[in-house]
Amino acid sequence: MSLAFTLAVRGLTLLGVLVLVLLLVVVVLGATGFSDRMLTAIVNEELRGIREGMARTIHDPDQLEAAVKARRQELVDFYGLNKPWYTRLPDMVKRVVTLDLGEARNLRSFKGSPKVASLIMERLPYTVLLLTTATLITTVIGLVVGVKLATQVGTFLDRGVSYLSAVSYALPAWWAGILLIVLLAFDLHLLPAGGLHSTPPPQGGLLRFLDLLYHAILPITTLVLVSLGAWIYTVRTMVLNTAQEFFVTVARAKGLPESRVMRRYILRVAAPPILTNVVLGLAASLGGAILTETVFNWPGMGRLYYEAIMTADESVIVALTFMFTLLYVAARFLLEVLYVVLDPRIRYT
Amino acid sequence: MRDAWRVLLDTGSGRVGVAFLAILVLVSLFVVVRLPLDFGSTRWNNPAVWADNPKSAPPAWWAWFRPGKTVPHAVFQSSGPASGGLEQTYAFSYALKGDTPPSFMAFSLSDVRFSDRPPVVSMEVRRADGKSVVLLRQVVRGPRPGEQPPYVRYQDTPLRLNLSGENDVLANVGGWFQDEFGVNVAPDELQGKLEAAVFGVPTPGQPGEFQPLRGDYQFVVRAAMGNPSDSVGNVKVVMGGTVYGVMGTDALGRDLALGLLFGFPVALVIGLSTSLLSTTLGTFLGILSGYMGGKTDIAIQRFSDIWSNIPLLPILVFLIFVLGQKLWLVVLMMILFGWPGLAIVVRSMVLQMRSGQLVEATQALGASRMRIMFRHILFQIAPFVFAQMIFFTPAAILAEAGLSFLGLGDPSIPTWGQILESGFRTGAVYVGYWWWVLPPGLLIVATAMTFVLLTLGLEPVVNPRLRSMR
Repeated sequence: MSLAFTLAVRGLTLLGVLVLVLLLVVVVLGATGFSDRMLTAIVNEELRGIREGMARTIHDPDQLEAAVKARRQELVDFYGLNKPWYTRLPDMVKRVVTLDLGEARNLRSFKGSPKVASLIMERLPYTVLLLTTATLITTVIGLVVGVKLATQVGTFLDRGVSYLSAVSYALPAWWAGILLIVLLAFDLHLLPAGGLHSTPPPQGGLLRFLDLLYHAILPITTLVLVSLGAWIYTVRTMVLNTAQEFFVTVARAKGLPESRVMRRYILRVAAPPILTNVVLGLAASLGGAILTETVFNWPGMGRLYYEAIMTADESVIVALTFMFTLLYVAARFLLEVLYVVLDPRIRYT
Repeated sequence: MRDAWRVLLDTGSGRVGVAFLAILVLVSLFVVVRLPLDFGSTRWNNPAVWADNPKSAPPAWWAWFRPGKTVPHAVFQSSGPASGGLEQTYAFSYALKGDTPPSFMAFSLSDVRFSDRPPVVSMEVRRADGKSVVLLRQVVRGPRPGEQPPYVRYQDTPLRLNLSGENDVLANVGGWFQDEFGVNVAPDELQGKLEAAVFGVPTPGQPGEFQPLRGDYQFVVRAAMGNPSDSVGNVKVVMGGTVYGVMGTDALGRDLALGLLFGFPVALVIGLSTSLLSTTLGTFLGILSGYMGGKTDIAIQRFSDIWSNIPLLPILVFLIFVLGQKLWLVVLMMILFGWPGLAIVVRSMVLQMRSGQLVEATQALGASRMRIMFRHILFQIAPFVFAQMIFFTPAAILAEAGLSFLGLGDPSIPTWGQILESGFRTGAVYVGYWWWVLPPGLLIVATAMTFVLLTLGLEPVVNPRLRSMR
């Protein structure tokens, strides 16, 4: 009962986030006249197809114009363009949610489609690949080093990491990325500066995949470097806090081996808050991905954001804002579920 | 308060933070006093201001690491209008010390007044080997039909000639080489090599190649007037350098030192105004939520829960894109989205305090709710709130830099993020223009670090238990 209730409350909150963002987007679009322009673009696009179809059956130009004009009126009625923007809110929300936002102005998907939905769906996996890999690597290194550091509090290394964590708060990942590009790609010619594949891309599945990995090294390294300091420090502090609890002292007093105390007594208890930070970090890096992907010309949703800004493509920007929020909310909900699984205290209160 | 100051200065990070902050504030004050506030629109984004600067030039001190391979930027200007006499002569001395000729030569003329015949302006170079070459002979545009004397030319926009690109100049120099050295150089061949030719001698056996000729040069500008009362305002000769200023220039020739300097007050204003206002909002709502309890509490907490979970950067990108690229909008959005975290923490602190003796005692004394909340409770949590404010300051600076980097910066106000963005967009990153990419990033990091260090230094103030541990 209480377990379902906790999850439901968190789920509702996150749903609230999604609804609020949607409302914000739709109201801002409507009030500034952006939605009118987007819908007009969709109407014009449909009319172009209709005109071509009609031109085949109607040969008199005047008649054709009249027919097209009548069709335009129908479409304007259908999309509600002749009514004030707030009456269209529900329809607009539906469009955003289903990514039914017409065609991008200049941007094309890899296959050449201008549909906003296919553009975004195509880019999504690359963002997910980049972020999950980087988070995974950071987490593993952070856990290993952080736990180790917790046993060496006050040493030179320990102080160094605590300063590193302060620096990583102040260091923008995208600027660090630029530095790495200048240093590793252009001075030392070690790694490619950006992109997804070499030109020309190597043939064959495995080679192609390895080429992709080769190009992913630099962006992933950047993401790991800028978050690692803070992450190690978090793990260290959490392990340290738990290690001062009485039950740990008791376990040691019972003569249990230190490795067992660490795994079964300290880490098991420290796991939920550590996990919280992993998923929070993942969620936070979503926003950062916009900048990192831009720097490395990594064709994920973040780079698409940059391209959409550069070409002033409002439908793509709206769709991406929604997608980023959706991903964020999904990551947060995953966290809540995992938290409940990992922390028995939540289940039994 | 004095106590807090002493504790802050006791810690190493606090001292460094205070020193950095002092530098930031001093530089900002200097900039606000010395640079016009509309610097961005009237100067930074006005290409005419930077026309005479070399493009993408490294800083002048870079010359120390590249002896002989660089040439400093040199600007010669006549002092004020000269009149009287039928011929005006201006002479400027120039010494070529290294092996590199100037990167370009430019000539500007402004405010010419004449009454019947237009003046003829010429420019001649007296070379280190004693020879003289006439680069340019320019007749000021004559009277238009119906125009009444005195005729005024180039008053608002000076006549600016980039000598390296003028076909007349190429032809003049080509002909001169034919006469003096007997080598045949076609004007086309001089394209892009004009400076090497004017400041050099032909390499024997290699037609079209020139060896630098070091020594003292003189530029002589003559204005031949038709009437003694005619006048020439300002004459300017520029020998473009391959290095420029303290911080170099960008691809438009803009002096990066000025842009970077202007970024100081902008960054401080963004950071401090955002953190001050969003901390105020967060504290106010947090205290209200914690002390009032009941429906107010639930409403504020539910709302902060939702509001704090909105991913900031995507929403900022969307709002700034739709509402317009204005700096005050960025600040406003950061304030509106920045408060919930603090409101949640402050509430939990107030909850503890509400059941404490201090609040109980003041309640017994008949203090009003307002007085308890915003006098007694607020003063109790003030150190914590202040530290939070300092800690939150870099967030706004970093967010603005990120937005600017995505091309959503306010075009009328140059910031460090925008300088980085133009460097990235024009590919400076990929050709190794380090002076364009490193300093703005370093300044962003240093500014953010200042506030992180201050927060670290303030920790013992907020958490007195840490004081003895030092």
